[in-house]
Amino acid sequence: MTALSAVVRVRGVTKSFGGAAALKGVDLDLYPGEVHALMGMNGAGKSTLVQILSGAHQPDGGTIQVNGATYCGLTVRRARRLGIASVPQRRELAMGLTVAENVMLGDLPTRRGTVHWKAVDSEARKALSGLGIDIDVERTARSLTVAEQTMVEVAREVRRGGRILILDEPTACLSAEAAHQIRDLVRTLRDEGVAVVYISHYIDEVMAVADRLTVLRDGEVVRSTPAGDLDPAGLVRSMVGRDVVSRRVERPAPKDDIGLAVRGLSDGRTIRDFTVEVRKGEIVAVLGPAGDAQSHLFDLLSGRRRPDLGTVHVDGAPVPLGRVRASLASGLRCVSGDRRALGLVPELSLDENLMLADDRFARRRVHRRGALTRRAAPLRRSYGVVSLVGNPPVSALSGGNQQKVLLAKWLQTEPVACFLEDPTNGVDIAAMADIHTLVDDLASRGTAVLLASSSAEEVMRLADRVVVVSAGRAVAEHDITAITHDELVATALGGQPQ
Amino acid sequence: MSVKTLADAPGVSDPPEEPRPRSTFGALRRAPHTGLLAVLIVVVVATALRTDSFATTTNLINVLRQVSVTAVIAAGLTLLMTAGGMDFSMGSNVSVTTAVGAQLLSHGHSTAFTVIASVLLATVIGLVNGLVVTFTNVAPFVATLATATLLDGVALLVQGGLSVSIGTRMFSLGNDKVLGVPYLLIVAVLVLLATALVMRFTVFGRDAFAIGGNEHVARLSGIDVTARKLTLYAVTGALSGLAGVMLLSRLGASSPGTGGLTLQLTAVAAVVIGGTSLAGGHGTVVGTALGVLLLGVVANALNLVQVSSYFQQVSVGGVLLVAAIANELHKARSARH
Repeated sequence: MTALSAVVRVRGVTKSFGGAAALKGVDLDLYPGEVHALMGMNGAGKSTLVQILSGAHQPDGGTIQVNGATYCGLTVRRARRLGIASVPQRRELAMGLTVAENVMLGDLPTRRGTVHWKAVDSEARKALSGLGIDIDVERTARSLTVAEQTMVEVAREVRRGGRILILDEPTACLSAEAAHQIRDLVRTLRDEGVAVVYISHYIDEVMAVADRLTVLRDGEVVRSTPAGDLDPAGLVRSMVGRDVVSRRVERPAPKDDIGLAVRGLSDGRTIRDFTVEVRKGEIVAVLGPAGDAQSHLFDLLSGRRRPDLGTVHVDGAPVPLGRVRASLASGLRCVSGDRRALGLVPELSLDENLMLADDRFARRRVHRRGALTRRAAPLRRSYGVVSLVGNPPVSALSGGNQQKVLLAKWLQTEPVACFLEDPTNGVDIAAMADIHTLVDDLASRGTAVLLASSSAEEVMRLADRVVVVSAGRAVAEHDITAITHDELVATALGGQPQ
Repeated sequence: MSVKTLADAPGVSDPPEEPRPRSTFGALRRAPHTGLLAVLIVVVVATALRTDSFATTTNLINVLRQVSVTAVIAAGLTLLMTAGGMDFSMGSNVSVTTAVGAQLLSHGHSTAFTVIASVLLATVIGLVNGLVVTFTNVAPFVATLATATLLDGVALLVQGGLSVSIGTRMFSLGNDKVLGVPYLLIVAVLVLLATALVMRFTVFGRDAFAIGGNEHVARLSGIDVTARKLTLYAVTGALSGLAGVMLLSRLGASSPGTGGLTLQLTAVAAVVIGGTSLAGGHGTVVGTALGVLLLGVVANALNLVQVSSYFQQVSVGGVLLVAAIANELHKARSARH
């Protein structure tokens, strides 16, 4: 493999934003037919490097050599012409168009000046089947699952002549099976001779799929080796710079009284007759494939949507369903897993986001920045929110910090019961460990915690009990001590009670 | 070897540039509204040099008196647009208010009654807009454009197609000054100031930012979004009513076509020039005030240098376009830093 020469050689690339160095002289070689995993914590410089490769940013210094020609910086257009394509974390398909149109976008075959629809479909079908993807090209992009959207985007880029493909967290928020399909696709791409840059937070996945690893830390390359030379622990150590352990801790035993009781919850075909009881101080996880029943609990419990049937009791008192304010008044706090859409207001500052809910509960009328900063300061400390400068807009923070802001916003209100949806979605390992500790503390203070997750690791780390859901129904319930990680994964995948 | 090395290209051999210390100029360039202020100063200076009549107290006072009505509307619109709303019917609301006010006065009702009745009517109109927008999910743009057209018609009906004079009643509000400052300007400044304070120092104002930034999050955070929106639309209605009373007192009569979509578009232009986001979540009263001033000064300057009135519309459009582009550039630059 090393006999081939690199298609991309990045040499000594530096980049800083407003005085803060994001990249400090980074070297990177990409070879055809190789999956190159780019690893690093949030803010290590992965995204900046990727943006420089795809031409979204110009480096301050250093060179990028593509197919033997040296450039000091790429524009989006030039990167595309050189065959560098990136599939961003947020899928960018035209949702109203069909799969075929999306694949052929910008290059629709025409006949006598009008679109030749038959050719559109057949070309698109060819592009998809060439990569072993089986999706009906006449479906609209909106009807696709996230994994299918990723596949369509990959097919589009490859069809456009992408020989260097950057995949930014392609398996985030995917079920195990869908992630498996994506990894298969990545292997197909590699066998076709594409140079794949693969970004992921999942250590196991990277070890399984990558041929070569480059680890970034604080804008510098700390390791760049064939994947076989590193074990998971070593990889984490080089990413974080120290050992990180997020291991189960002993919490005080749950109290006897029920903090949160959900009974007979049904909503269309997404959730059917879902029942769970959570004692105070207990963490109960709902585990299922991404997009299954657990992903709909947020809307139902927070009052955004009224379920067809079912009751919710918080601390023994019934909660009227379908009203946000009633849900909040009951002492139930629901933390969304989608912080962009349902968690934070990007235009508002860090502190305002932190205090957004609490200030409303306290029925404050006057807003003073000084007082706000004073109220927010202890929260920033206890939830470990770090910002480089004062009080930036919350959108300027890293994913991990944003997630901590979101948790702090809700957990500081001392909830009776709490619903957490994928609390470590898209955060790096160190932040993940911090957040796990925060959730442990929450339960230790006597809050009933219901945790919706699609990660078996997280469930094993946090939960006392786990309810496995599949196709909208609860299919199994286990004490966490009575099941191993592998059994749990098998249950979640198979969807059948063991 | 096919490898090309561009030895003379910048940044290849040079050491990475040290982060520059913030120069005052750089800081100034990044400060909000600098561009707008610069344009305003250029226009003022250029006009003052071209004509003698511009930089006279009478003329300047006159300009300020003229923009006062727009300023009141634009203040309400800033607050509403920050919350992600839109009201295209404020100008038409002004038409209705002036028409009704003029009819009430000419039928012998007292001035106090007329003012209260006009503002109340305008508030109700605003509230209706709010009810439609919050409870039917019709886009605010569409809903209020419809009510704008509807209200324009209502204003004509109320007028009966004739100009209605109010004689000398309310003359002093429209034309008198205290210590050389017109009453109208005082009202406008008070409204702008109040809006600015509300947006900066009250939870109500911050709620507007939160709703405009992300309505779902606002609702989930315990903000009563529906009530807030209704209040906001009612407030814009009330301010339209106030603007209507001010306009009536300045003109001394209400004629068909007073206010309406022209006034509305000037106010929208001023708000957008001031940097308030059409998508919500961002807005400043200072920017709006500068936008109102700029449009007023440009119109006045074109008058004084005797440019055909046809060009005035061209210029307002041009100013709006340039300002909108400048705002986007500024946003893109601040996003990079």
